[in-house]
Amino acid sequence: MEILAKVGDAVGAESLVSIRSAHIQADYLGLHDSGIELFERFAASDEKFGVPTTVNPASIDLDGWENLGVPAEFARKQIRLCEAYDRLGGIRSWTCVPYQVCNFPEAGETVAWAEASAVVFANSIIGCRTNKVMAGLDLASAILGLTPKFGMLLDEERVARVAFAAPPGRFSDLDYGSLGYTIGKISGSKVPALDGIPTEATSDDLKHLGAAAASTGSLAMIHYVGITGGSHSFQKAAEDEKVERVDVSRSDLEAVEGELNQTEETPDLVALGAPHLSVSELGSVARLLEGRKVKRGIKLCAYTSQQAQEMATRAGIRADIEAAGGTLSHGTDADVSPLKAMGFRVVLTNSALLAETLLADGSVKVRYASLRDIIGEISA
Amino acid sequence: MSSKTFKCKVLVGGNASGEALICRQAFTFDRAVEPRTGVVADVRSEIAGASIRGKVLFYRRGKGSTAGSSWLVEAIRLGNGPAAVVTENPDLAAAVGSCVAGILYGRAVPVLSGIDARVFVKTKAGSIARVKGDSIEVVLAG
Repeated sequence: MEILAKVGDAVGAESLVSIRSAHIQADYLGLHDSGIELFERFAASDEKFGVPTTVNPASIDLDGWENLGVPAEFARKQIRLCEAYDRLGGIRSWTCVPYQVCNFPEAGETVAWAEASAVVFANSIIGCRTNKVMAGLDLASAILGLTPKFGMLLDEERVARVAFAAPPGRFSDLDYGSLGYTIGKISGSKVPALDGIPTEATSDDLKHLGAAAASTGSLAMIHYVGITGGSHSFQKAAEDEKVERVDVSRSDLEAVEGELNQTEETPDLVALGAPHLSVSELGSVARLLEGRKVKRGIKLCAYTSQQAQEMATRAGIRADIEAAGGTLSHGTDADVSPLKAMGFRVVLTNSALLAETLLADGSVKVRYASLRDIIGEISA
Repeated sequence: MSSKTFKCKVLVGGNASGEALICRQAFTFDRAVEPRTGVVADVRSEIAGASIRGKVLFYRRGKGSTAGSSWLVEAIRLGNGPAAVVTENPDLAAAVGSCVAGILYGRAVPVLSGIDARVFVKTKAGSIARVKGDSIEVVLAG
């Protein structure tokens, strides 16, 4: 309660409101020893989650970290977080895409979710209401079933304050991430609206767009014109206020590729995920790998949820990826893994979120390319 | 030496003073600050290589993941946190991180927002900032 009250005061919330679900972080890479202390303090006082609670990926593969080069001390600390999470009664989702597999809010309901990419998806596509709930506040909200009423929970804070037009033409998987990355940077603290997304864009494409936007922006929502409820036009999204309009060009997207490509070295890890791949994205990976083999010295890892991995297994997708020399990993993701300690030096990805995250600490070198280009380069 | 006083919105209250560390960009503690040293690891940041330890840290706005708060808590736990955080647009990562550090370790740091953007233009390296409630006095260097 102390955390909720203090944060509520900090943000000027008038009250605490009930939530229908929580999604929280429990990765050791992000939470550190102080995060373990907070979790174990709650667990030791026999607290339980007050609402259905799902959890973001762990920092290790919970089914088999031993052979992946993870330092044992690091793994033990992640396991302590898992045990505390279990004692608190959480759903063992270990995914950054709860909305694709196990946590399905309705439009209009209030939730308290961590994981910036999930928050953007929740507000923008599902139409529920959540702030970008920071680590620590997420745990306290999950236990009490309450969250401070401010920010994205208020009508007036959800109004678009800047409008973006996507460049015309076909989009690759990379273009969605690069567009999101650009929008986040320019919109800063303003809620953006975005028009001109190709009609063939899938919810997976928008998942990556929103994730990239949250990596550079402070935003918790994007009004996708024609997709987000009530936002049929820029005018609707901005409630008839006049807002600045930014036309994003193809050269803006190319500039992002330049920024996120730090090296031309051959990768030792190809990381596909961040956010977790859906079963249909795993299918795309398998199709591109058909008849090919991943080159020696390169690990290709597709990070996904347990549910998507099971579906991919039943559909033969997993066998196809493995036959080509790739691997699947569930319950963890590259953006919360100790990649350097695991022995990786150069990471190639099509996730702008992952590239941005890894560039922040410089622990590994980063390359950023489309899935098609990646598979073409790293397999034959 | 000239000084200028700014009024801000208080997110987490308190008094503090220290050298002003000014970042004219968006900022996150997530990975970009090494908790064991307080050093800014992100080579793309204009304060790359500087330590936030004991500094009054100014930046425009927060960005990125919801782990920003926990990276700040860990830096504070290890004695490498900033003396205070001051932003133009409110940064929830700093606010939540400070509140949690206060609860776990009794070491909340003042967090303020709404600083006049001119502070980012005028403040040179080596300036001192004193946070007192909702006001910040910046003593400009040289």
